[in-house]
Amino acid sequence: MKDEVISKNSQENMVDVTPFAIKDCALIVRICDLLPAINLRELHERVANCPVDSLYHHFCETAIRPSFDDPEFHNDFARWARRALHDHVLAERLEILHPYSFPHMEELRKEILDIIADRLSEIHYIPWALHDQAFFFKQATTVVFDTNRIIETPEHLCDAVKEMSTSSLYYHFWEARRRTPEKIDDFSFWLKGWNDRGKPLIDAFSRIDFYFMSLKELQDKLCTVMEEVGKTWRKK
Amino acid sequence: MAEEVKSIQLYEDVVGPAVLNQLRQLAGNLEGLKVIHVNSTKTGGGVAEILSWMIPFMRELGIDASWEVIGGNKPFFHTTKLFHNGLQGNQVNLAPHHIQAYEETNRQNADRLRDKLEDADIVFIHDPQPAMLLQLCPNRRGKWIWRCHIDASQPFRPVWKYLRPHFESYDASIFSMAEFTRALPHPQFLVAPSIDPLSLKNVDLPQSEIENTCRQFDLDPDKPILTQVSRFDRFKDPLGVIYGYRLIKKSCQAQLVLAGGGADDDPEGAEVLREVKEAAMDDPDIHILLLPPDAHRTINALQRASDIIIQKSTREGFGLTVTEGLWKGKPVIGGHVGGIILQVINHHTGFLVNSPEGMAQRIRYLFNHREIIDSMGEKGKEFVRENFLLTRHLREYLTLMVGLRRGFADRLIAAA
Repeated sequence: MKDEVISKNSQENMVDVTPFAIKDCALIVRICDLLPAINLRELHERVANCPVDSLYHHFCETAIRPSFDDPEFHNDFARWARRALHDHVLAERLEILHPYSFPHMEELRKEILDIIADRLSEIHYIPWALHDQAFFFKQATTVVFDTNRIIETPEHLCDAVKEMSTSSLYYHFWEARRRTPEKIDDFSFWLKGWNDRGKPLIDAFSRIDFYFMSLKELQDKLCTVMEEVGKTWRKK
Repeated sequence: MAEEVKSIQLYEDVVGPAVLNQLRQLAGNLEGLKVIHVNSTKTGGGVAEILSWMIPFMRELGIDASWEVIGGNKPFFHTTKLFHNGLQGNQVNLAPHHIQAYEETNRQNADRLRDKLEDADIVFIHDPQPAMLLQLCPNRRGKWIWRCHIDASQPFRPVWKYLRPHFESYDASIFSMAEFTRALPHPQFLVAPSIDPLSLKNVDLPQSEIENTCRQFDLDPDKPILTQVSRFDRFKDPLGVIYGYRLIKKSCQAQLVLAGGGADDDPEGAEVLREVKEAAMDDPDIHILLLPPDAHRTINALQRASDIIIQKSTREGFGLTVTEGLWKGKPVIGGHVGGIILQVINHHTGFLVNSPEGMAQRIRYLFNHREIIDSMGEKGKEFVRENFLLTRHLREYLTLMVGLRRGFADRLIAAA
């Protein structure tokens, strides 16, 4: 239901070049109705059956939930492979996966299953974790709310991003790719309505390798990019 | 010294305006909601500390929140201590008279609180002590949530078999970490606890006050200070800390502070304290401080005076003393258990250890790399600012309550 609401909002932002409504979000995480996995074979079986929201949580919502800001791993499967199974090869293969490069989460699921199955076929034992290091499948409910703040024009975007909470940035830059028809961030979606004025920013945003940044790093990167584009605007 | 009730607005300087705006927007969906938290002690321990700020904040945000403390006699608290230890995996002797004390006390409290609890929109029951209240309130109209603050992942089976039916009927439960959960037939949410950066225990202190506190306890300003703040409880391994300290003392000058107090619901503390004093053997550099439950500023000063904070627990809930230490810009040497794992990131905010020897080795490493102590301290403070302050904690409770009101069937909920 919320997907529809949000998509409509994003569409509205574009069609009339209406001001960009800044939203924010908060997560509440819960345990999935699946037994935790204690070895690699169980992980394979659980990944095959877990809700797609759980895959999304373990790959994408890692950026927003309480965790260390400079993580060695960006998804929970890679982290578990390294820390609990001590399988460095598997951890590296899982870590390089970029969830937003897949057309949808089911494709990502297939890729994870392939990687795990390949690994199981390469080794002559089943890597297992200590009993207190099992992998728990989780998923989150996202509550989205208005901040009652808007961005009038692309020139105001930089200042607005500087003041955004990291969860707001997550919502508009990461989570947007899951719900917008073109799987792009909300800023780019909105900037499309501004034609030539928006295009340099859209191009610059598309070159940001955001998945491997923390949200704070992304915030800084976006501001740097916008300040550079802003200089060209002023020259014109 | 009692904690004064503060306005949320005061936290803007610490967390920024966007974070406060989040809370107000979320709470806008919950205006007038009757929310009751129930636990078993008004002072001492992490739960009472959390509720002492959470209730006023919820009220300030327009939620009709209140806090009820169940009363109980000595046999009741002895029993709930057995439950506490049993849930954390210790073998305990649970006898019929323990069960009787538990059930009788819950019945008495239910008689006192029933009308109020049955009328509430959301009831949060904290830990096992008041867990039986749910079945004693048959006409409840709201959602009842069991909030488990301890690691219940490997309970002593007889204790779990007795308590499980009390927990099963709840609408949901909350645990601090996934690893602490037990299979229950309802949704299990995850909310890590937090600290209040402006509380007496965490607020910035003038250097003169820190120095005065050191003088008060005869701490030598020229020797590094290692501090563990916790109840005198076997799971905190104070004897292991003393053993590890003796290993350090062979090569480094240092002082050890073991500061703690008892909580109203912890009758075992005196016995452990006696063992700790025996182990210290009148070493003038080991300072065992039994502090009253309201000595928050003293604890604050001791943590700030320290070079390194220790929390060498063998079982741990979340470990708020670790959060407090990190917030004061100190590296933490923590046991590789429970919520300490979430907070102590090796080589970034401190070190996780599994033995007194590991503790000693990491402390010696830091003593010989003083610059790392400072850089770890800075990282740790920012880590806490982002993740473990009360504003994040409150946001997750508000998010949960919005979800409870609107249902969790749709993963995404568009708030008004």
